[in-house]
Amino acid sequence: MRLPGPRSFAPRVALLVGVVVLVTSFLGAGWGWLRAQEALRRQLDLVLAADAEGLLRDYETYGLRGLADAAAVYARRGGPLRVLLLAPNGHPIAGRLPGAPARLRGFATLSPQEGESRLRALGAILPDGSNLIVATDLALVDRAATALAWTPPIAGGLAALLALVLGFLVARRLERRLAGISTAARAVMAGDLARRLPESGTGDEFDRLADTINAMLARIEALVAEVRQVTDDVAHDLRSPLSRLRQRLEAALARPRAAEADAAMLEGAVAELDQILATFAALLRIARTEAGAGREGFVPVDLSALVEGVAEVYGPVAEEAGRALRAEVAPGQAIPGSAALLRQAVANLLDNALGHGGGTVHVVLRPGPVLSVADEGPGVPPEERGRVLRRFYRLDRSRNTPGTGLGLALVAAVARLHGGQVTLGEGPGGRGLGVTLDLRGEAASSAPALPGAAPGS
Amino acid sequence: MRILVIEDDAATADYIAKGLGEEGYVVDVARNGRDGLYLALNEPFDVIVSDRMLPGPDGLAILRALRASGIATPVLMLTALSEVDRRVEGLEAGADDYLAKPFAFAELRARVRALARRPAPQAEVTELAVGDLRMDLLRRTVARGGRAMEMLPTEFRLLEFMMRHPGQVLTRTLLLEKVWDFSFDPTTNVVDVHVSRVRRKLEAGGEAPMIRTVRGAGYVLAPPAPEGG
Repeated sequence: MRLPGPRSFAPRVALLVGVVVLVTSFLGAGWGWLRAQEALRRQLDLVLAADAEGLLRDYETYGLRGLADAAAVYARRGGPLRVLLLAPNGHPIAGRLPGAPARLRGFATLSPQEGESRLRALGAILPDGSNLIVATDLALVDRAATALAWTPPIAGGLAALLALVLGFLVARRLERRLAGISTAARAVMAGDLARRLPESGTGDEFDRLADTINAMLARIEALVAEVRQVTDDVAHDLRSPLSRLRQRLEAALARPRAAEADAAMLEGAVAELDQILATFAALLRIARTEAGAGREGFVPVDLSALVEGVAEVYGPVAEEAGRALRAEVAPGQAIPGSAALLRQAVANLLDNALGHGGGTVHVVLRPGPVLSVADEGPGVPPEERGRVLRRFYRLDRSRNTPGTGLGLALVAAVARLHGGQVTLGEGPGGRGLGVTLDLRGEAASSAPALPGAAPGS
Repeated sequence: MRILVIEDDAATADYIAKGLGEEGYVVDVARNGRDGLYLALNEPFDVIVSDRMLPGPDGLAILRALRASGIATPVLMLTALSEVDRRVEGLEAGADDYLAKPFAFAELRARVRALARRPAPQAEVTELAVGDLRMDLLRRTVARGGRAMEMLPTEFRLLEFMMRHPGQVLTRTLLLEKVWDFSFDPTTNVVDVHVSRVRRKLEAGGEAPMIRTVRGAGYVLAPPAPEGG
């Protein structure tokens, strides 16, 4: 067993609890001890008062003479009750009481010479001026008090010891659990992101805390994995064009200078660089959008006008490619948002439908607002739909068409920024790709989304 | 035409100064915000090209100081942060245009020329004319040598922008931004399609071409050359 260090939690808590319990139980027992003494003395006073009452009755019946006789009897008997009768001038008439005052009215505690025990006395002045004093030994009470005086330290000590042991055990248990959490946290810190905090299974506060932290760790692990994935993607997708550019320049350097060929080569190089820069810009924009940048600049955006405007720009592009673009826009659809990002999202969807899809492009904005852009091309196989929303994901057949592979990733990021979501499905008649941009806000996105059962359709 | 370039990166400053010099501009270069602000406040310039991030007062601070002093010289802001919100911030601070680094020189040239030619605020123009091409902004009509043409709204906006900047090379990025408010480059050839449609309409009556394509840069709208344009 490991010896707890000086900075250890358990012994310190045990000690603290021990001291607190010691002091409180000592004070408690001490108070009880004082109260007990007080009660004993009051009991004694009652007995004295009763005795005095008896003697006074004698006085009323037999007069001073009778009282003196009674006092003498008490003195002779040498019982615990002592009686002293003093004449009005202070001379003793009967009885003996060492250390008695010359005159006493009411209760008093008398301390005679050393070696003798203290006395509790009660004095009464009789109608003729004589003074009757009854007293009793306090030795009994004193002995009881002395015996009881051990109670506070014994009670305090025992309680403190018990508290010390219990406190140590409980604190030790806490310490062990914290040590488990600490070890796991350290492992996570060292790079083991899959490590989770131990749980005892009792569902107590520690388990709930560990549960929360574990959920946080799972989220961090997912985010880090995503960042790693993106970094890999970036490295991969930028390495290819950069190496192509390098080869092109190298080849040009190696051959003799020729104005026309050089110009063509340089033009190609600039185009290649522009493509790389466009990829960078798109990545930056997605990253910023995903970080939620720009949300504070949200203004009411007339989505109907925005979609109509973009469709108007793309209509001729479709026609030029021998295709058609049909827009069906519900009027007056507005949401708070970023017009620039929404415009780009809509444009990306149309770019995508025109660049990678086929046939007529259908743009429909339904009240909600829910925007869907569908084409009649080859579509995207269901198992690939989740992936095309990721950065740089491109279907094999799209490898040679222009584009950064970031278009739909940005659409997804813009949707999330606006509290909406993107789903991929088929176009009308089960052909082509249909992308739905649901912008009904937080309420819609938190509702359970059943595939194929989109409400409001 | 005198241009002030405020740019702390030596290579970029030289590149801009040399390029604009070749275009026939007189170029002054300031390498930090303090010198730039001093020059801008004390010398007359037609256009100021300023980096956004500068040692000393940065681009936005210079811009605010200039506007606060009542100097309305057009400012083209350069920035490495190509983001929409940054753009808005710069435009709100009083920048007349915004260009993200790295940029093609053609892009910079097009924007500088657009700013330099910007007419002083005057009474609303209601008619534009380039060569025999006439545009009535109130009645939304376009005619070439008396031959009226039908223009779709987006084509009309494109032609209007080109007619406001005749003889200048207008890049695709500039057209996307100014005509359609697209702050990004679509993957499809949106600009080319619209320009070629407008071009076809302008030449439908067998007239000489007015829109010329500048390879690797953009488009120019100009009156047809007198002989065999």
